[in-house]
Order: sequence, then structure tokens, then C-alpha cells
Amino acid sequence: MIFQSLSIKRKLTLITMLTSSIALILSSVSFLIYDLVAFRHLLSQDLMTQAEIIGYNSAGAMEFKDEPAATATLSALTAKEDIVTAVLYKPDGKIFAQYFRGNKTVPALLPSHLEGKGYRFDGEYLDVFHDVTLNGEHLGTLFLQSDMRQWNQRAKRYANILIVFVLVSGLFAFLVSSKLQGLISKPILHLEDTMRMVSTNKNYAVRATKSYGDEIGRLIDGFNTMLSEIQQRDTVLQSTNGELKTRTQELEEEVFQRKQAQEELLKAKHAAEEANRAKSTFLANMSHELRTPLNAIIGYSEMLEEEARDTSKIENIQDLRKIQSAGKHLLSLINDVLDLSKIEAGKMGLHLETFDVTQITEEMVTTLQPAAAKNANSIHVHVGDDVNTMRGDVTKVRQILFNLLSNACKFTDHGTVTLDVDQIKAGEREWIQFRVSDTGIGISPKQKENLFQEFAQADASIARKYGGTGLGLAITHRFVQLMKGRINVESETGQGSIFTVQLPAQAVIETTESGLSEGSSDISAALPRAKTDQDTILVIDDDPSVRDLMSRFLTKMEFNVVAAANGEEGFRLAKQVHPLLITLDVVMPELDGWTVLNRLKNDAELAEIPVIMVTIVDNEARGLDLGASNYLIKPVNRDRLANLVEKHRVAKLSSITDADAGPYSHVADGSAGRKTTGSRIAKTRRN
Amino acid sequence: MQKILLVEDNEMNRDMLSRRLQRKGYSVVTAEDAEKGLLLARSEAPDLILMDISLPAMDGWEATRLLKANKSTQHIPIIALTAHAMVSDREKAVEVGCDDYDTKPVDFGRLSEKIENLILEKKLS
Repeated sequence: MIFQSLSIKRKLTLITMLTSSIALILSSVSFLIYDLVAFRHLLSQDLMTQAEIIGYNSAGAMEFKDEPAATATLSALTAKEDIVTAVLYKPDGKIFAQYFRGNKTVPALLPSHLEGKGYRFDGEYLDVFHDVTLNGEHLGTLFLQSDMRQWNQRAKRYANILIVFVLVSGLFAFLVSSKLQGLISKPILHLEDTMRMVSTNKNYAVRATKSYGDEIGRLIDGFNTMLSEIQQRDTVLQSTNGELKTRTQELEEEVFQRKQAQEELLKAKHAAEEANRAKSTFLANMSHELRTPLNAIIGYSEMLEEEARDTSKIENIQDLRKIQSAGKHLLSLINDVLDLSKIEAGKMGLHLETFDVTQITEEMVTTLQPAAAKNANSIHVHVGDDVNTMRGDVTKVRQILFNLLSNACKFTDHGTVTLDVDQIKAGEREWIQFRVSDTGIGISPKQKENLFQEFAQADASIARKYGGTGLGLAITHRFVQLMKGRINVESETGQGSIFTVQLPAQAVIETTESGLSEGSSDISAALPRAKTDQDTILVIDDDPSVRDLMSRFLTKMEFNVVAAANGEEGFRLAKQVHPLLITLDVVMPELDGWTVLNRLKNDAELAEIPVIMVTIVDNEARGLDLGASNYLIKPVNRDRLANLVEKHRVAKLSSITDADAGPYSHVADGSAGRKTTGSRIAKTRRN
Repeated sequence: MQKILLVEDNEMNRDMLSRRLQRKGYSVVTAEDAEKGLLLARSEAPDLILMDISLPAMDGWEATRLLKANKSTQHIPIIALTAHAMVSDREKAVEVGCDDYDTKPVDFGRLSEKIENLILEKKLS
């Protein structure tokens, strides 16, 4: 609808005008009607009075039948413009006298019959009948007809006035309503403007002005409150945004700085690594240069001591021993420094092999007897029954034990040094635990803090009193870490000390081959170890007692033994150690022996390794079919096993000798060296 | 009397070691470089050679290789003496054909044990 889309201004004006106009017209029309009706009544009364007068005046003429007098009387009506016709009827209805305006006879207008006294409206005319009487005698009837000219004129005039009035008042109403609609529309339009301003300029600081306290005023109030709320939030938001921006900038800057710092750090790291390499090279060279003269010092003093003893020059012997001990101390210092620098340079690798734990411990104890005797200490060794072989770097294990035991001897006087060796299970792994306890001076809590730090002997006075480089424990600690083991100390001042070292029973190399070939300062270097892996036998059996028995038996035969409790592990170990041969059980959980055998024989890398089946399952044909070299049924005949194994060893050696024609030629019959070493130390086991 | 050839360039060490070996009852011939060592190995036919590795000109590795390649000297046991105590040295010793290997400064007791063993082995074979 058109009205609905009009502006509020127009609507208001229109409503006002419409309302006022309707009221005006209605009242005017009703007034007009009233007036016209009243005026008509007045006209009829007037005409009746006229009729009365004329009737009275013409009564005589009627009485006397004086027609001209009556006509004259009627003629007097010319003065009355609106009277069109006047007729005097005789009682018999015949016309006695008559008058027509303008003397025109209009018989058609005459009434068809005479009526009683009174008036009636007949179309455009007003008719009046009047009885003409004289002294109570009826003489005739007067008929007057008016054309209501006056009424018509009045009505016409009134209508004109009405139209003009309505128009004029309508104009006024328009003017007034145009002025007054502003009262309502202005604040609304102002509110609208404000809103537009806010939405286009995003300016929340503007406010709508409140003019009146009416509903619109309250609307504006509400709008303003809303605006201030928004403004407040906007301000907070903007300040937050600002903070965010600042923070972002700060962060970016920080990131940049960190990057720079990182680069600098990297540079510094490279420089440090370079410096460290230089240091290591320097130390290696220095130690070499230092060793050569030391070689002479120690050698000559030893020789002189021998000579002095031969020639009984006892007084010289003490001094020569002092030279020797100083030289040896210097040598150990150089070795320690070299070890440490190698560890720090990351050049200390692990040389893994399987060895007899008992043998090593006995060896160490023998080596340390003199040191123990010096302070009148006794050394006790307890090796657990379950302790057998372990796989690790034997040189480092030796050095760890040597350091711990020599420390214990050094710091104990007239006491006991005990070495306990046990196999324990922690987590998923088997560990060999060495525990060195003494009854010596102990360690205070403060000293414990940097016990494993380089060059940090418990006290400066200790160095004077007991000697030593202060590197022993640091190196021990590093070696233990290198072998993925743990070291721990329990001690109190004056209560003795207990050092516990736990090393994995089966160490695994995680580094690359280069880690292997890098050196260790192996003082007691000996050739036979270089070919130990050639002598390794892998035992795969889920029964721990079988594994143990086989290990002991084969170890006695001078083999390294690696044992696996299941097929999966066995396969993995085979890949890792490339053993001389494999003994394989059939009935095992998960992967059975047949599957393992099949997998071994289908692996290009491992297919050549001979496999001896050792099982209770009597199915030799299947075993040999799958590629096993021999088939032994449990319980195993030891001699038979020994024969078979020996055969494989000889076969292997001869193949190497053929290929190399070199260094191993003496080995087949040349295990004399090791045997000598082995027999030198009597094995004692705790029961 | 067992004869030992000592190839060592350091005069002090050569003197000291040879005297100590003599005290042990060995007869000792010495050479201060590899070339002279090779000559003496052929002319003196020692029962064992102690070979220092860091020698001027030709080093001990090369000398050992030559000795082991020669029919007249390949049966003589050789103990390499190195100042560097690296695993790689041990491997190298095996590679060039040394029968044993020890580090300097020499633990004389250990060295003489090795010497005895090797001479004994050679006799038995």
C-alpha cells in the first residue's frame, strides 16, 4: 500500500489532515442540513402567514364577488419574488381570481384538487392552502405556490461557503500539522540520522539528542546507553588490539633475537667443537710425547732396582721405587686425561664382546692385592650363582672395577673391601650388578655432590694424603653412562662407602660402525680378542636352564656365547653378531624352531651360518630338510655336542686361513695365551 | 739362548729395553730404523722381533708387512709396540700380520710373558 511506504512526516500530516477534514465536513454538513430544514420550516410559516393575510384581505372581495378587487389584492404579491402562483377558489372549486408571476398562466402547476388547510412540499415548490372565512363563513380557498427560490439560493450559498471553509481549514490543518508532526517525526528522524552516522562512520562517540521525556525520549535514552556500552567495549577492544599488536611485535622481535642468538650459539658451538677437536688432538699428541720419556724413566728405574737388588745396594732400592711410583702415577694421570678427552670428544667407542664375569672379577682382585695389602686391607669377592657371562666392553668393565676397588683400598685402612656381583632383573632387562663396599673413611653429603665431577677430589688434602688424579670416578661414571648402565653411591663420613654399578647383561651397540673402530686406551691390549666374534655361538632356547647349561659348557670350550630366549630375539641377535654357529630349540612359544630355521636359511646374510638343532622333538628329517647342519635330541650328549662344535670351528678357521694366509694361522692351536691367563686365576664361587 | 731383534728409533728406549731383555737372558740385536731391522732380521735370524711402529721413513707396519711377505722371515713372530692405544691399532696389527701387540710405555712383566708365549708357540709348531 502506498500509505505504508510513505515517510513518517507525510503519514503524520496525512493522518492529521484526514481526521480534521472528516470532522469538519461532518459537522458542517450536519449544520447545513439543520439550517436548511429550519429555513424551510420558516419559509412555510412565512408563506402561511402571507396566505392568512391575503385571505383576510380578499375575504370582502369574495363576499361581494368583487373579482377585480380580489385580483388586485393578489397582484400585490408581485412584491414577493418567490411566490409563483396565487389562486382563489370558490367553494365549488372554481377559480375566482388568480395571479401568476409574470402573468404567465401555467395551468399544469395548479393542483389537481383542493386540499385542506396546510402546506406541503411538492417537488421544487411549496404549496399552501388557506380557507378564506368571514365571520365564520367559508367563502373559498386560497392557494399559494412558492418556488423556494430563497431556500435554493441559501442552500447554494451555504454549499459554496462550506467548500471554501473546508478548503481553507484544510489548508490550515495542513500547515499546522506540518508544523506539529515535527514533534514526533523529528526525534525519530534524528535517531535515524545518528544511527546511520554510527553505522557508516563507526563512530561510537556520537549521541542522539533527547528533546522530550516521552516514549521517543526513552527510546533515545536506550539507544544512547547502548551506544556508550558499545563505545566502551570498542575502547577496550581497541586497547586490547593495541596490546596484542605490541605483544606480537615484541614476540616477533624476540623470535628474531632468539634466531640470532641461536645462530651465534651454533657458531659458538662449532667453534667450541673445533676447539675441542684441537684439544683432543693436542692431548693425544701430548700423551704420546709424554709417554716416550716416561717409558724410559720407568724402564730404567725398574732396571736399576733389579740391579740394586742383585748387587745388594739396599739403600738405593727405596729411592728407585719412588721414581717408579711417581712415573707410574704420571702415566696413569696421562691415561686418565686421554680417556676423558676421548670421552668428551665422543671418540670413546664400545668394543662389545661376551666374557666371563667371574674371570674378570678374579683378575681385578688379583691385580689389586698389592694395593689392598699396602693399607692392610682384605678383599672379599662374592659372585652370585646366576652370574655367568655378560656382553659388554670388557676393557671398560675392568677399568670401572679397577677404579672402584683401588679407591676402596686407598681410602680404607686395616679394613675390608668387598665386591659383590649379582645378576638382577630390573624392568625388562637383565643387569649385572657390581657392588664395591668398604669400611673406610666414607664420603660426606657435600663431597657426594661433585663426586663424579672431573678433577673434584673430595678434598684438596685428600690429594696430598692419598694421591690420585681425581679423574677415576669421573671416568668410571662416563664409562657406565657409555654402557647405558647406572652408578650409585651410599656413604656417610666414617661409615665406609658402597658403590653400586649396574650394567646391561647384554649390551647393544646403538652407534654406527665408526663408533666401534674408534679406540679405547687399552693398556692390556692383546691380539686374540680381535677375532672373538668369530668364536661366538648363538643359543636359541626358551628354557633358561638349557641356556645356562649350554652357555657354561660352550664358554668352557673358549667360545663366546650369546643367548636368546625366543625366536624373534634369536633372529635379531644372529643378524647382529653373525655367530660361528647357532643352536636352535624347536618347541618355543610364538615363533617355533622350524620357522626360525626357515627364516635363517632364507636370509642371504645368515644362510651360511650352520645351525645345530637341539630339541626333544624327534624329527631329524624335517630339520635337515629345512637346512639344519646337525640334529641333536635332548638330553644332549655333551661329547657329541663338543665334537660337532669343534668341527665347525675348525672348518671356519681353515676357511679363514685359506683366504687370509695370515694372522690367524697360529690361532687354531694357539689359545695357549688365553689359557695361561685363565688358569692363573683360580675361580672361586660363592655357595 | 733366544735371540731377539729390537727395532726402535728412540735411543733411550732401545738401550733400556735391550738391557732389560739381556738381563732376562735373551741375546738382543738392535736396529734404529726399519731398513736396518729388515737386514738384521735376515742376517741374524732372530727368534722374535719387537717392532716399534712409529719409525722414521718406513714405519713398523710396512716393515712387518715386508717381513711377513718374505719366505725367509715370515715364520718369525713379531710383537708390535705402539704408543697409540687405539682399537684401530689393534686391528691394524692383525691386518699387517703381527702375532701380538703391546702399548708403550711397556709393562715389562707383561711384555716378557708375551715374548715367552710366542717363542714357546713357535717351538711347538
